Amino acid sequence: MMQQFFQLPVFGVFITLIAYFLAVKLRKKWNYVLLNPVLIAIAGIIGFLLIFRIDFETYNVGGKYVSFFLGPSVVALGVFFYEKYEEVKQNLKIFILAVLAGGITGVLSVIGFLLLLKAPEVITRSLAAKSVTTPIAIEITRLLNGIPEITAGIVIAVGIFGNAFGPFILKKSGIKSKIAIGTALGTAAHGIGTARAFEEGKLQGVYSGMAMCLNGIITALITPYLIELIF
Amino acid sequence: MLKSLLYIFGFLIVGEFVSWLFQLPVAGNILGMLLLFIALKLQLLNLEDVKPASDKLIKYLVVFFIPYGVGLMVHFNLIAEFWLPITVAVIFSSILTLYVTAKILEKSGK
Repeated sequence: MMQQFFQLPVFGVFITLIAYFLAVKLRKKWNYVLLNPVLIAIAGIIGFLLIFRIDFETYNVGGKYVSFFLGPSVVALGVFFYEKYEEVKQNLKIFILAVLAGGITGVLSVIGFLLLLKAPEVITRSLAAKSVTTPIAIEITRLLNGIPEITAGIVIAVGIFGNAFGPFILKKSGIKSKIAIGTALGTAAHGIGTARAFEEGKLQGVYSGMAMCLNGIITALITPYLIELIF
Repeated sequence: MLKSLLYIFGFLIVGEFVSWLFQLPVAGNILGMLLLFIALKLQLLNLEDVKPASDKLIKYLVVFFIPYGVGLMVHFNLIAEFWLPITVAVIFSSILTLYVTAKILEKSGK
């Protein structure tokens, strides 16, 4: 009986919005990196669905209306990229080279480690794009015949890892340049890493935002070919 | 706002069309992003004409992928079975990515 009600699209839309709204409030109260609003919202919704025995498919009748906006949001990243690009403009060759090298390292190393540790092929296909912003990673995984939902979960985890430990790891490795720190955070940990880069400083943030977009493009272009070479 | 939204969806549909027409191994929305960046750079388009909608979309980008994150519950068993290789691979790969990217810029003296 209730199941029929939950299948109304408004249920999925409403629970998504309210979960995020509450998660943001929680974050404002306790500013702690593991209280990432997206992570809390997802965990909250999963908990709710499990308690009330609602299938993911039932929730996603409405959820689809929310995730539809990922498509136009990826296009909007083009505008974001352009604005950041206009802010720096000068001498981008080394920057592009660094993101290219970092991006390829990210894809190849995660594939290599997973092969070495004998993870199933579908997991490797789902994690190849783990460093890039979630909407782009989802598209890449779909093309590679991986599982986009696994990609989304892991990509968020990667972002939180980079946000929490990225600057520490870089400083321990002897990196001092602000541009290097920003670019590395955006390349390895996309938007969630970029949020941390902005906390470190404006320059770090701008380079991180640019690196996030550029690595999204690079990874989208090269990963299908790399995967085809391997499998 | 309406005009900027129209531009965003316009570039999206052009991207999807190009990807479909040539059967490219790149998603239409990624092509749309590239085309929009190029159009702005060549000044075929004013930033003010697309900014209102794109700023709003970027601001709420994280909300739009929540349903995918929730979908993780369907694959819980797969993740539970392989959580160790996944964790190890993802952490070491992320550290390598951070290091390689930063080292190149640090060495160039930027």
